[in-house]
Amino acid sequence: MLKTTLAGLAAHKLRLLLTALAITLGVGFISGTFVLTDSMKTGVDKTFAKSASKVDVAVLPKKGSGGDLPSSLLARVRSAPGVIEAEGTVKGDAALVGRDGKAVGDEPTVGASVPSGRLLRYDVDGGRTPKGPSEAVLDTHLAKRENFKVGDVVSVLDHKGRPHRFAVVGLVDMGIDSDVGYRGAVGFDAATAVQMTGVKTYTEIDVRGGAKGAIASAAGPQYDTLSGPQLAQRLAKANGADTKVIQAGLLLFGFVAMLVSALVIYNTFAILIAQRMREMALLRCVGATRRQIFGGVLTEAFAVGLVGSLLGLGAGLGLGAGALAVIGTFDTGMALAAPELTVRTIVVAVLVGVIVTVLSALLPARAATRVAPVAALRSDLEPGSGRFRLGWFRTAVAALFGLAGLGLGGVGALGMQKGEVAMYLVAFAGGLFFLGVIAGMPALVRPLGRLVGAVPGRLGGVPARLAVSNAQRAPRRTATTTIALTIGIGLMSLFAVVASSGTATANAQLDKHFPVDFQVESQFGGGKDAADRAVPHDLVAKLRALPQLGEVTDAREAGRPKGGARDMTVTTVTESSFGSMLKLDAESGSVSAPKPGTVIVEKDTARTHGYRVGQTVQVDGDRGSLPLRVAGVFSGDTPVRGVVLAASDFDRISAVRDSATVWAKAKPGVPVDDARAAVEAATHGYPTIKVGSMAELRDQFTKAVNTLLLIFGGLLGLAIVIALFGIANTLSLSVVERTRESALLRALGLTRRQLRRMLSVEALVMAVIGALTGVVLGIGFGWAVTNAMAKSAVFAVPYAQIIGFVALAGVAGVLAAVLPARRAAKASVVESLASG
Amino acid sequence: MTSTFTTPPPPQGRAAEPPAVVATEVSKVYGSGDAAVHALRGVSVGFARGAFTAIMGPSGSGKSTLMHCLAGLDTVSGGRVMLGDAELTGMNDKQLTLLRRDRIGFVFQAFNLLPTLTAEQNILLPLELAGRKLHRQWFDQVIDVVGLRDRLGHRPSELSGGQQQRVACARALVAQPEVIFADEPTGNLDSRSGAEVLGFLRASVREMGQTIVMVTHDPVAASYADRVVFLRDGQIVTELYQPTPDTVLDRLKALGA
Repeated sequence: MLKTTLAGLAAHKLRLLLTALAITLGVGFISGTFVLTDSMKTGVDKTFAKSASKVDVAVLPKKGSGGDLPSSLLARVRSAPGVIEAEGTVKGDAALVGRDGKAVGDEPTVGASVPSGRLLRYDVDGGRTPKGPSEAVLDTHLAKRENFKVGDVVSVLDHKGRPHRFAVVGLVDMGIDSDVGYRGAVGFDAATAVQMTGVKTYTEIDVRGGAKGAIASAAGPQYDTLSGPQLAQRLAKANGADTKVIQAGLLLFGFVAMLVSALVIYNTFAILIAQRMREMALLRCVGATRRQIFGGVLTEAFAVGLVGSLLGLGAGLGLGAGALAVIGTFDTGMALAAPELTVRTIVVAVLVGVIVTVLSALLPARAATRVAPVAALRSDLEPGSGRFRLGWFRTAVAALFGLAGLGLGGVGALGMQKGEVAMYLVAFAGGLFFLGVIAGMPALVRPLGRLVGAVPGRLGGVPARLAVSNAQRAPRRTATTTIALTIGIGLMSLFAVVASSGTATANAQLDKHFPVDFQVESQFGGGKDAADRAVPHDLVAKLRALPQLGEVTDAREAGRPKGGARDMTVTTVTESSFGSMLKLDAESGSVSAPKPGTVIVEKDTARTHGYRVGQTVQVDGDRGSLPLRVAGVFSGDTPVRGVVLAASDFDRISAVRDSATVWAKAKPGVPVDDARAAVEAATHGYPTIKVGSMAELRDQFTKAVNTLLLIFGGLLGLAIVIALFGIANTLSLSVVERTRESALLRALGLTRRQLRRMLSVEALVMAVIGALTGVVLGIGFGWAVTNAMAKSAVFAVPYAQIIGFVALAGVAGVLAAVLPARRAAKASVVESLASG
Repeated sequence: MTSTFTTPPPPQGRAAEPPAVVATEVSKVYGSGDAAVHALRGVSVGFARGAFTAIMGPSGSGKSTLMHCLAGLDTVSGGRVMLGDAELTGMNDKQLTLLRRDRIGFVFQAFNLLPTLTAEQNILLPLELAGRKLHRQWFDQVIDVVGLRDRLGHRPSELSGGQQQRVACARALVAQPEVIFADEPTGNLDSRSGAEVLGFLRASVREMGQTIVMVTHDPVAASYADRVVFLRDGQIVTELYQPTPDTVLDRLKALGA
């Protein structure tokens, strides 16, 4: 039996290859993901190992404590026996001022100590390490981005925001710090680093010489003392978590791709088995048992899966290498290694490929065992055609899952408390409903075919009409072929709808609750204390005085209470803005401007802390604490968060006079551009102050959403390509099946071009059926998700995108038909008439 | 050998008209070198307009190949084929396709109909492919002659073999082609259905003046024709006018088939 199977496979190499291609793509994506993430991890690990090798012993805060090392510890470590040299790493904020006079980036650059000598763990790419209060080095990638080089003089802001001038004496690759990759870094000698950042503690103490035990006892048990290799391991572990997230995300798309592959494989095998009825029956006639037939089909699937997986592995290696090369061209500062193919990758890729293929072939294999030996003697009926009735099982499954999906989706969208739980329920309902659609799709093929085929059938003449009826003649086959496309298009439409609804919701919220033109803000602080980074009050006064501006509102935020942690935002907002610039929705109580002695609280904060209207709560500031009564709880998409106090109360508990944020509107009649220019002029000389317009913010948000959508689209694109292979596969198998039919048409006067067009239209109809189903599902559940998200959510359908998806699917379907159509058109009429 | 290039006795007094299809020294070779198979070796024959001609011969005599070459389904290796004033030899695929569409009708042994179309749609297919207008009256007449009035809405899978062949005949007739080629049209039918189809083909010649060329190996089927042309080893060896099953059989025996 094995021999028969292998001989059969060898005789149909092309068929084998086409089927295997679906698996190849899915496995290629999965193994590519592994290759990419493994290589990324290895590259970073290597860098860490190299960096840590310069250190004999390192003292770090206890893992997970998030604490610092006091400066007194350094002295203790230095005095430990055998220690030749010990340096503390200082790390804080030191905002580099760019060539445009504004601080670089949304967050200030990292300011760090860069030791000279043997304990220098960074690579020096040019120049030398800094010494003294007027020298600094720049992170190589930052320097490149901001166009600085050795010999330049740069301005860096200290922790009080005062500018200091430094000569750039070197470029150093500080990229092993994850922060630095995004923010960039400026390096100083240890003393200057303390002065600039204002940070007097260390994040790490590196030691040369000395025994680990001795240093550990000198440091004390409240700190971790690690050897060099241990340090490398810990750094690598923290980084490994990042690559794990990337890996998991990519594998999710790999899973979708494999699901589509499984459908394609299932369909291909089902068609092949149906076409080889006679062959199966003949085998049964000459004595093959059902078991042998079953085994034969599965062996074939195994071979196809193996070939597909191995090809996929090769493709994955290429894909991973390609992705690495692309990442390498961006200046991310990420350390990259050569593409790496681990044993794990090979095992996973081959296992996934083979298992998915064999599982997909199970049902067709079972169908093959049901062929009666006498079928070999009967004249063949066309497989999959005839009157179609959905079996009771499929009907039941379709009805059950469809109704359950609709019901749960409805509950999630309309009946439940908005939020995550409702969204998960809708997602679950979407999955259920989709299963229902898979089961019921064969029954939908004919009506959908009529709908989709109406236009081409009317315009395309006889070939198109024949094509439309061909697409409908084997509903099961067409259903599985199209469903594969539905998955990709459906998910894409879902994302598109959710993204567009999200953007619309955000815009509507801003318009309704927060109609401002500009936002003036300081560069985000390192997150330690917002009060450090604020809009100076003299600038706020200057802005209020600008004739071009109408309403100006500012919010002040209290610093953290002495000795305590800040667990909520304590803020005060210009009183006059309540009801005009700031429109809050009341969840409960009154949310007008808080009067002295009362506060209003944002919904989420109220929930976390259990605050209720009428309750008196203790509000802590950096200077004091006050018992205040909660007057109301508000919601609404405004940037105002936490607990809002009256200005007089705020001043009693906080010394903060500068504003966290200032919002302004252009005066009626003044063009927004003029107002903007005035604001820009007023903020000149404040390097950390950033002016943003709401229009820009919206653009940024929309752009970010679109980028995300593009990435999703690219990743889902694979699932769509696999589905197209499915269409090509189904079509070429159908072409084989209809050899004599095509010959008859050719004899009756169908030209080659018309025959090709016929197959193109058939592919078009199938692709559009699949895409349309996906779009309907995507929009439907996109609506449900949007509704489940929040009460204020606005549902928006990106019509242009959706139409684009369907059109794209149609075009791609036509492309998928090119090869099968060529083959059909090439066939000789006379030979085809004689065949079968 | 005897290259007959004669016009048959006029069945309906149309001696003056030129033949509908003429083959001159047609040869057909498959493969090349030692493996070359000479399917046709210089066949010259004419088929009269308004006549029913049968081509007979043992298996491998080249009768199907001849029909394919005459009908523009296959290209010849040498010689000429004329359909009326059109020379088929030298036409490209597209020209041949359009010629078949506009001027030739076909009835094959099996798989004559498209399974997705109803009987009526199958019958009208050549007209629709050509974008030609249907003469309703003519259509009705053909349908009544073949007796398919109550079967028009059925798909092929719902028709018997005889009914399917009658649909195929109707399809060939409705388009009123210059010539109909029938390739073993009764090969798959029982004798009663076969007789029906043959009687019907003969009637279309007698009453409608249709030209038919039929390939068959069945002497009874051949006896429905006005003239039988005998082929052996790719050459025309003899012919017979006003055949009966017995005379056809005798001639076949004489050929040593």
